[in-house]
Amino acid sequence: MAEDEEQENRENQEGQEEAQESTIIRTPDTLKSKVGTGGPGAVDLETLARAEAVIASLSDDYLKWVEEDFKKLDDALAKLIAEKDNRKEHLDRIFQISHDVKGQGGSFGYDMMTIIGNQLCRFVEDMEDADDAEIEAVTLHIDALKMVIAKRMEGDGGAEGESLFSGLEKVVAKLK
Amino acid sequence: MTDYNLERLNFLMVDDNKHMRGLVKTILNALGVRNVIEASDGADAFKELRHFPADIIIVDWNMDPLDGLDFTRMVRTAADSPNPFVPIIMLTGHTEMNRVVEARDAGVHEFLAKPISAKGLYSRIRSIIERPRPFIRTKGFNSYFGPDRRRQQMPNFMGKERRKQETDYEGEGGAAELSQDEVEALLND
Repeated sequence: MAEDEEQENRENQEGQEEAQESTIIRTPDTLKSKVGTGGPGAVDLETLARAEAVIASLSDDYLKWVEEDFKKLDDALAKLIAEKDNRKEHLDRIFQISHDVKGQGGSFGYDMMTIIGNQLCRFVEDMEDADDAEIEAVTLHIDALKMVIAKRMEGDGGAEGESLFSGLEKVVAKLK
Repeated sequence: MTDYNLERLNFLMVDDNKHMRGLVKTILNALGVRNVIEASDGADAFKELRHFPADIIIVDWNMDPLDGLDFTRMVRTAADSPNPFVPIIMLTGHTEMNRVVEARDAGVHEFLAKPISAKGLYSRIRSIIERPRPFIRTKGFNSYFGPDRRRQQMPNFMGKERRKQETDYEGEGGAAELSQDEVEALLND
């Protein structure tokens, strides 16, 4: 008991010493003086709705960008298959591209791209190498992403989206 | 919701993906921001900061050669940093708990998970305006320089307990994905 108390006292003392070593620096609050509130140009609910509409209007552009990502994924997948001794590098590349795909889809109403992109990231992130079955699973995820765009499966993709995702989950579960 | 006028704010947007840069710039412009400078990686952004008086920096995590985390540490602690106090919003798809803690400990003010929305971005900007945080410099083994990681004042705070909590983040559950609300709670603890 005495030892516990001693330990606790020591810890409290260390905590206080650390607190004493911290310096607090108060910076001038310049932002508030620069922004102002209300009036024309201020961000109200209407402005936010307009901004969301601007993002939605970019969805055609998004469909072009994502084709670039598909080309990059195809290229990385081809190298993953061909270069047996260098698989870690290509798995990392696939992670990076699918991470971009995950981060963009949802902004433009393609939530399935974010969901499947995330699952592909989780699947490859800790892989050091890949066997044939794992490469097949990566290929299926890439095909699924392409299908979402080809069929313009917006939002959660409805019943078709659910069945697509549960199929991928089963493939991944089998390999774990 | 307070209606802020953002016209006079200068933003620096740092992302190696030109589409993401374009998207964020478009949203900022739609929110009334006029002055947005883009940079494609941390090193490029650090150069821009020398002549661009950024009020808020939005930075992506994954970039080569200098990523968002290293960039944040450099802005906060480099001897030649043009503005160690500038508010930084970390924009990333990494929403695992240990990642959020890592970003916070590098000195970011806010954390915005991708995919982004206009509402999400404005809410982070609003937090920075409404809750200006003092900066803390801690010496010793766990040295830190950045915005106060405790936004709420806790008079009975003992450094030891915080370290204990943060160690726990490294263990089980540290890789669990967090929702934006959970990220907020963690940044606000």
